[in-house]
Amino acid sequence: MNARIGNDNVVTQALGQIGNCGLFLLQVLAAIPRSLRHGRETVRQLWFTGAMSLTIIMTCGLFVGMVLELQLYHVLSMFGSTSMSGTVVAIATYRELGPVVTALLFAGRAGTAITAEIGLMRATDQIAAMELMAVDPLAYVAAPRFLAGLVAMPLLCCVFCALAVFGGHLVGVSWLGIDNGTFWSNMTATVDVWQDIVSGVIWKSLAFGAVVSLIAVFQGYTAPPTSEGVAYATTRTVVASSIAILALDFVLTAFLM
Amino acid sequence: MSQRKSYAVGTGLFIVLGFAALAYLATQTSSVANRQQGASYTVDAQFENIGQLKERAPVKIAGVRVGQVQAIALEPGKPVADVKLAIDKRYADIPADSVATIFTSGLLGDQYVGIEYGHSKNHVADGGKLALTRSSEPLEEMLGKFFGAGGAADNIGGSYRVTARFSNVGTLSVGSPVKMAGVPIGQVASVQAEPAKLDALVTLAIDNRYDQIPDDSAAAVFTSGLIGSQYVAIQPGGSPDMLKNGDEMILTQSAMQLEDLIGKFLVNGSGSGDGKQGANPPTTPAGKH
Repeated sequence: MNARIGNDNVVTQALGQIGNCGLFLLQVLAAIPRSLRHGRETVRQLWFTGAMSLTIIMTCGLFVGMVLELQLYHVLSMFGSTSMSGTVVAIATYRELGPVVTALLFAGRAGTAITAEIGLMRATDQIAAMELMAVDPLAYVAAPRFLAGLVAMPLLCCVFCALAVFGGHLVGVSWLGIDNGTFWSNMTATVDVWQDIVSGVIWKSLAFGAVVSLIAVFQGYTAPPTSEGVAYATTRTVVASSIAILALDFVLTAFLM
Repeated sequence: MSQRKSYAVGTGLFIVLGFAALAYLATQTSSVANRQQGASYTVDAQFENIGQLKERAPVKIAGVRVGQVQAIALEPGKPVADVKLAIDKRYADIPADSVATIFTSGLLGDQYVGIEYGHSKNHVADGGKLALTRSSEPLEEMLGKFFGAGGAADNIGGSYRVTARFSNVGTLSVGSPVKMAGVPIGQVASVQAEPAKLDALVTLAIDNRYDQIPDDSAAAVFTSGLIGSQYVAIQPGGSPDMLKNGDEMILTQSAMQLEDLIGKFLVNGSGSGDGKQGANPPTTPAGKH
């Protein structure tokens, strides 16, 4: 499947990785209709990548909202406009922090697990065994995980944003004494459903979900079948996902805003 | 099987929670929550200038939100904005002679439409019109009134042109007012550097109504206020001859520069003669030599 890359220089290797990753994406996309027979496996992966990540996503969302509100309060109090701090928390979270931080956490929490799992399946010849039993590993192993990541990311991002707003409210209203009514009315007056929630939360997190789960599955699928190879692939999942998320975030912001 | 079932239930819970969060974001924290609740009726109001008013901006009576701006369009054939206000049915008894005004919340806030009650017995009906409106006042105009720097002469009667040379015009630019006794009588038509004499040639367009200006009057570049814009002030002289089109004003006073003023102030005690060569002398008989 993958053209072997010799000990070429770094640029050639990186380009080869990207090219292989793109080809792999096409293969996974082609395998998605076949993977629908294994719907149960997709649900199981959704459980592992999505539902099990809820705890960390919720905790982090809460604290991000709280610290953002705290910082904004001190800056905005110079201008006497602390009642706008909730608005800024909401907009900053919906447009940037929510999708990006959720995707980074998702890459660390779920992406590494996917890579390690598939890498070990490859190392222990389980994938070869599937091929021998005429079970398509792309349809049974790769595509369900990819789909699960695609579905889980927007949902996780929504939960993250909701908790961030809640955290902002907790600090701003309950602790620092901003008026509850102005907090919400400023927010509802400024946040726009299409601009902020659909093109911010939904589109960005869908794109990030696709990128992170593609990289995770690809790295696991092509990991050298050694314990060292799996470890290296897991590291690369985190590094490549983080770079891809932040770079893609800039591009998406430029296009969507 | 039970293990598998718990996956399914947990995953279902996760999906439901995610969508619940999305619904919460979309309905409770965004502008959807601000949409009109309940029935409303529409009232027209026409404004000369709506400033930064946007659709869905609130409509308020006595500061209480009673509706929102439904649509903003230019009235066909007229340079006025037609603003449709959707007002809640509960507030159906607005007098027909009420005044709709565009207000700004705070100094820099958003704009909204405020309705001040009139005294008419008739109430404005659905599809009706608020005839009395007050437009948004641009901040520049208000500041201009405040500082008294604005207000150019209306150029109805035509103008005649005179020139004046300054060794420094500061930030004087084309269109700056020309004033006499504080009253605008014309404006600066051009500001050019004169390569031969190394000074600035300023052409003043003065309204034809003001043709009784003595030809030995002095032109000075003044600043309105401490940091205001600069203008040309004409200080009348005593000559019996009047300025005509194409004349040159001999006596000029260049723009004072804040740096020079401060410099003069600081070195005032220590010998005013030296180190002051760069400062502009107050009156330059520019054309005499």
